[in-house]
Amino acid sequence: MQNNLIYRIPVLGRLSESNLSLFAGLLAALLTTGFAIWFLKAENEYVIGFLLALAVAVTLGVSRLGGLGYVGRAFSDHEKLMNGAAVCGVLALAAVFREDHFTLLMIAIVLLYMLAGLGLTIQFGYLGLVNLSGASFLGVGAYTSAVLLAHTAVPPLLVLVIGGVMSALVGCLLVLPVLRTKGHYSAVVTIAFAILFMSFLQVNDTLGGPQGLATGEMALFGWGFNTGIELENGFYGSFYLNYLLLALALLVIAFALVKRLERSWIGLSMDAVRLDETAAACYGLSIARWKVVGFTLGNFLIGMAGALYAMMLGFIAPANFSFGDSLILVSIVLLGGIGNPWGLAVAAAIVVILPEKLQMIQEYRFLLFAGLVVLVLLFRPDGLLPRGMRNYIPGGGARS
Amino acid sequence: MDIGLLGQYVINGLMLGMMYALVAVGFTLFFGVLNVIQFSHGDVLMVGSFVGYTAILALAAIGIDNPIIELLGALLASVGVVALLGALIARYLVLPLRSSPPLNTLLITLMLGTVLRESVRLFFPDGSNPKRFPALLPDEAFTFGSFTLRVDSLMLLIAGLLLIVALHLVINRTRLGLAIRAVAQDEETAMTMGINFRLVVLVTFAIGSGVAAFAGVMNGLYYNEINFGNGLLLGVIGFAAAIIGGLGSIYGAILGGFLFAALQTIGSVALPFASAYKDVFAFAVVIVLMAWRPTGLIAERTSERV
Amino acid sequence: MSASDVLLSCEGVTRRFGGLVALDHLDLEVKRGDILGFLGPNGSGKTTFFNVLTGIYDFSDGQAHFAGENISKHSAQAVYRAGIARTFQRSRMCLSLSLFDNIMVGNHKHLNLGLGFNLFRRGAFARDLEQRYEQARDLVRAFSPNLADRMSEAVGGFPMLDRRRIEICRALISQPKLLLLDEPSAGMTHEETHQLMGDILSVREHTPELSIIIIEHEMSVMERITDHCAVLNFGKKICEGTYQDVVNNPQVREAYLGIE
Repeated sequence: MQNNLIYRIPVLGRLSESNLSLFAGLLAALLTTGFAIWFLKAENEYVIGFLLALAVAVTLGVSRLGGLGYVGRAFSDHEKLMNGAAVCGVLALAAVFREDHFTLLMIAIVLLYMLAGLGLTIQFGYLGLVNLSGASFLGVGAYTSAVLLAHTAVPPLLVLVIGGVMSALVGCLLVLPVLRTKGHYSAVVTIAFAILFMSFLQVNDTLGGPQGLATGEMALFGWGFNTGIELENGFYGSFYLNYLLLALALLVIAFALVKRLERSWIGLSMDAVRLDETAAACYGLSIARWKVVGFTLGNFLIGMAGALYAMMLGFIAPANFSFGDSLILVSIVLLGGIGNPWGLAVAAAIVVILPEKLQMIQEYRFLLFAGLVVLVLLFRPDGLLPRGMRNYIPGGGARS
Repeated sequence: MDIGLLGQYVINGLMLGMMYALVAVGFTLFFGVLNVIQFSHGDVLMVGSFVGYTAILALAAIGIDNPIIELLGALLASVGVVALLGALIARYLVLPLRSSPPLNTLLITLMLGTVLRESVRLFFPDGSNPKRFPALLPDEAFTFGSFTLRVDSLMLLIAGLLLIVALHLVINRTRLGLAIRAVAQDEETAMTMGINFRLVVLVTFAIGSGVAAFAGVMNGLYYNEINFGNGLLLGVIGFAAAIIGGLGSIYGAILGGFLFAALQTIGSVALPFASAYKDVFAFAVVIVLMAWRPTGLIAERTSERV
Repeated sequence: MSASDVLLSCEGVTRRFGGLVALDHLDLEVKRGDILGFLGPNGSGKTTFFNVLTGIYDFSDGQAHFAGENISKHSAQAVYRAGIARTFQRSRMCLSLSLFDNIMVGNHKHLNLGLGFNLFRRGAFARDLEQRYEQARDLVRAFSPNLADRMSEAVGGFPMLDRRRIEICRALISQPKLLLLDEPSAGMTHEETHQLMGDILSVREHTPELSIIIIEHEMSVMERITDHCAVLNFGKKICEGTYQDVVNNPQVREAYLGIE
């Protein structure tokens, strides 16, 4: 049926299937960016509703015609180009909304949630360790950066790293119970930790108790991030643009590393541990080693996202890191497709932006997304964009 | 410390323990028949206390103000509605996921818990604020020196004990209990013996959830207040108690519940740094216990076939 | 026979589960290049022996020496590194992973697992991958040329016969000295079993040094491929010898058929 589509369109018929998929992929990237701009600009709730319906209808329609297969192939065959296209899409959004504080903030939050989602992807997607205290590790990073910026002269870029390291270290406290409890019981350890952390923040006065803490700003090479960008030619950009660009840079690096991790013997070992611990042990895989490595790496990424998140918000409180937020993070991973970093992009965008644009559902967002995840688990357990087969060398074609 | 205060702590601890035990029993029953963790159990309990509350308001609205009738009405409505809810959860969320990884069941019920919690918060009139649960039990108290024993606490403890005994009798003395135990032992054999597996699962979920509803009403009567967020904490603690007791053993779960309450009470008494940290302490204990005895104090039979 | 001919020697290997003695003082020797058949009714302790030997269960008593090394305290990982690889009764494959991935799981001890190598030296990784890919494909081709063309397909899509073949390849890729096969014919038709046994015999031709212990209920299989057999009943070895010796042994006939 996919072949029929080629023959029916005379111009495309002459293109090789690979080029056709590239064309489809770039077209999809372009359309998605255009749609995102339109959607983010829209203010009338009816227009937003219409756009949502349009997006769903077009996606379903294209999927019916087999078009999504081409987009998928574009991502596997022309990965570098497609990654570049996605980054350009975000940059285009940043350029269009350069003066709009709120929209930039929203996009930056999506990027940071994706960064945290990458951490969860290593833990949950590759190793099968469900971390239901994602928001707590985000909080460890956030509070670390707040305290360090307020009381020390550590350079902010280093603070990001320390935020990640702190989060990884706190994770090490949990590693023993997580390793010892079998299978999904370890999820309960993380739930207990999420609640523990929340009540700790609520009652600890040095960390500001329920009111929280003000945080310092990010600065790079003497450039304070909380200042808007003004150039001589009249260009003006909101200070959130700084944060958005830094978040994007971090995300790109982390994304590339997580992808490489998946496409390596390490990724293979983690998958084997997730799928069958007993068999894995009989083939020499050290279950504990991989779980420690993956859990720690994941928490590092989450903590780093949290540190930047705190600097960007300028103010953090326990309510930002509740158990509900941990569930939201896990929902992003589940909705997107467990183990597929691209799924995170789609899911994080839905989960973060939708409630902000549709104020009427803001109040109902926990209910809505929890309900959505219930439906996904029942009817599409692999998520919106299921993870594909491992492709060790991008674009490597038949070579596994 | 003076005896009166000590006695107060003991009663308080017993009361907590009773509630934890009743929640833990549910976790253990579900785990027994299906090997799953039904994580919305705590929120199911919370729904139970709201149903009971609504029933009391409804009875009051039609002019009935006899506390005994109100109490019975609240219990009947709560246990009935929530037992049905439990069976529905089993039928539509848990059983369909039997062939998926057990993790999915945990996640789906976790999300369902959020759905229940948020639904109460958003759709129950003024649901986001704590509700004052009417005091239906007599408010007299016995005084022994400096120690006061409230009659309502005593009644609640006895009621909880009776429920546990009733549950024991159902599990050990009835055909239904036999079927439940058979399914828990070995589902395939039980099915070849002509036991209707699905029915047993549904009934088990109904019983476990009904017990939780009872605990929910108890919770309301004891604290005179109910809150949409109560269930999550009780759920996590109840689950921890079930694990401490070795998932799958009813008596272990009960023991685990009381043990946990004891630890919590001792923690809040003995720890110098104020009771503000009592939840932090309690959950730290959960984590430490799970690290120490991952399969519980009464070890679960491992039966993985290699 | 010289001592160095003995690859595996077990003395008094015992495994208790609570009061149940699943394996009762088992003595066993396997020579290099030998194929030993393991017989016995269900629950007689055959799989338990594999699980104890491969470190999934602890030894309750007794010990085992493998290639001169005492492996009775070894973890599952250490047993694998020493050179014992196994298959499972209920074929335990990673169904969602590709054929190639599944085989590479078995090659764990030869893989470079450093973070630097895997994340940053991608050129070196690609060359390593290329080499291991060829090696894996050659191994698979020896079993089935058809499978060698489907290296990147998910194992879940293959029929049971192919899964068993892949599972054996997974065990062989690390070039073990001893291969433990736990009921390789379970869940297969007679015809498929026949094919698989052909494969196993050809493996033996290519690697004459490899020793195999095989658990199997298909007597024709045992007759065809084993050099000698041991029979377990209630965790005890009741008989050992060639296939013909064993089937004619009255104790064995009693254990299997219940005849006096």
